[in-house]
Amino acid sequence: MIQLSDIHKTFDVKDKKAKARKRIDAVKGLTFTVKPGEIYGLLGPNGAGKSTTLRMIAGLMKPDRGRLEICGLDALAHPEQGRAMVGYLSTDLNVYNRFTPREHLRIFGEFQGVEASVAERRGLHLLDKLGLSDFTDVKMEGFSSGQKQKVSIARALLHDPRVVIFDEPTTGLDVLTAKTVLDLLRLMRTEGRTVIVSTHVLPMVEEICDRVGIIFEGVLHGDAPPREILAQWKAKSLDEVFFSLAASSQPED
Amino acid sequence: MRGAMLIFKKEFLELSKDRRTLFFTFAFPLLLWPLLFGMMAKLGQSDSKQRHGKPSRVYLVDPGKVLEGRLRSEPTKFELVDKPGVEIKQAIKDQKLELSVEVPADASEKIARQETYVIQAMVDESEQSSGFALTRLREAVAAQDKELVSARLQAISASPQLAQPSEITAIKATSDDLQMGKFLGMFLPYMLLMMMYTGSMQPGIYTTAGEKERGTLQSLLSTSLPRNQIILGKLFYVFAMGVIAAVLNLASMGFTITRVVGAAMAAEHGANAAAGLPSISPMILVLSFVLMIPLGLLFANFIVFMGIQAKNTHEAGTAMMPGIFIVVFLGVFSTAPGIEKMLWVPYVPVMNVTLAIRKLFSQQWDPVQYLIALGMTITLAAVMTWISTRVLDREAVIFKQS
Repeated sequence: MIQLSDIHKTFDVKDKKAKARKRIDAVKGLTFTVKPGEIYGLLGPNGAGKSTTLRMIAGLMKPDRGRLEICGLDALAHPEQGRAMVGYLSTDLNVYNRFTPREHLRIFGEFQGVEASVAERRGLHLLDKLGLSDFTDVKMEGFSSGQKQKVSIARALLHDPRVVIFDEPTTGLDVLTAKTVLDLLRLMRTEGRTVIVSTHVLPMVEEICDRVGIIFEGVLHGDAPPREILAQWKAKSLDEVFFSLAASSQPED
Repeated sequence: MRGAMLIFKKEFLELSKDRRTLFFTFAFPLLLWPLLFGMMAKLGQSDSKQRHGKPSRVYLVDPGKVLEGRLRSEPTKFELVDKPGVEIKQAIKDQKLELSVEVPADASEKIARQETYVIQAMVDESEQSSGFALTRLREAVAAQDKELVSARLQAISASPQLAQPSEITAIKATSDDLQMGKFLGMFLPYMLLMMMYTGSMQPGIYTTAGEKERGTLQSLLSTSLPRNQIILGKLFYVFAMGVIAAVLNLASMGFTITRVVGAAMAAEHGANAAAGLPSISPMILVLSFVLMIPLGLLFANFIVFMGIQAKNTHEAGTAMMPGIFIVVFLGVFSTAPGIEKMLWVPYVPVMNVTLAIRKLFSQQWDPVQYLIALGMTITLAAVMTWISTRVLDREAVIFKQS
């Protein structure tokens, strides 16, 4: 289970035009809970604060304020234990090109404290599931971005995490592989894992997410099943919800 | 430390997969120095052989024939040539002759009057062969003068020792080893600094800014490994690479100097010449190595600190370049004569290490200075390690990307 309470995050950025530093509130008082066996879709346009939120849950960033619990653990007070429970995947994350997938997973298994034989077995199983079993011992230098994404997925799940965070998991994947990933997410739900997915592919959200949170300018708008969200916004699709949010945020003349 | 060791292992595993880097890190230094020194020794040998085996071409103007007979009596050393078609200076510059010698017309009269006559020799000192011809001329004139003085002394029935009241015999107060040690102490610390820094730089860039650029740093940071362990593992790796580079280069240089150059010296000057090569006490090597460890850590810290803050490998390389200039400056400055007499030098980081090593090799070990250098470098390395481990905790640094 993941619990976020009143999470805030501000960035100090350089404004090249004004030649001064300014503060940007990326996340403003975010509060939501994702239960085990649930797939939560975190949606929003670019720069809305999705990736920042996911990075905070994954332990890559620290919130300025608020409380973050992962499976009952105060993840801000115990970041290493928190990270050990999370499997994080992002398009920013890459693989070690000089390694083969087997070597890559073996080394990450060691980093996560997984016993070598277990890491080997689990890694091979995941690669097989993702259709990469023929490339287990091939150097990743020549891999396509889709193949690398598959290895990254296996890496994220290698230590059998209770919480899975996938940021844009189907980016760069062909239709068949994207379906495999979606099936994997469904499987994780049935296994009772807590799953958060962030994506721009809205039909995918409607298809697999149990609940959806729309984040816009760092604020969470709506935290409900997709159908309820559509009803709340009187919209036919999540795209329409996005447009309404964007329109409502336009400054008045 | 488990995490740091895992990162250390990962870095070496990655390195082991790259044949080109492996070659340039481990095999290249082992081949480079024997090849370079070997070629230089060979060229030097053949040049020297050529110079010694060939008579020097001399244009002689000697109306009184005071010197001509002497020079003609040594055909293996002198070849008297006709006046060149061009200006004499130009002919020497063009290496058409090595020397032009002009003996004054009144030289015979001056000898008769027991006055000194002046021989003018035109030489190109930038050319070894021309300088060598001048040395030969000096030897020939000295031999002729000696005979002349001896004849004069005999004429007045004086002792041949009249013209030489005293003679100096130099007795070596130190061994050849010390002489070589002092020479090594001058340039060895500089070489060590350079090799350690440059040897650490490339792996340092690859493992810090390179990880950022390739998008693998975040994968690493998303694991349960503590961040300070990640940075420590990288630090140890960069440090180890610097030490490996320095040790391999020095071992290769040491082998080359003792074997390849030694063999060349023995071939040219006889077996005794090769015996003049240094044999350094193992204690000096151990004490020098002990000093180099914290210095290597200091360099590794600087490199990791700069690398982790850079957006990409290009920026990291640019940020690390001033480090090379500082190392070169401190290294060259520490070889300056009389530097050891300056009271503030033992308190300047890096320079105090080179000075301490220099003193070790000169067999002038100063334990207080040694301990000051060691203590200062360890403290600096520890402070830098503390700072570096905190840098990776800063989000602005982790997510700084181009």
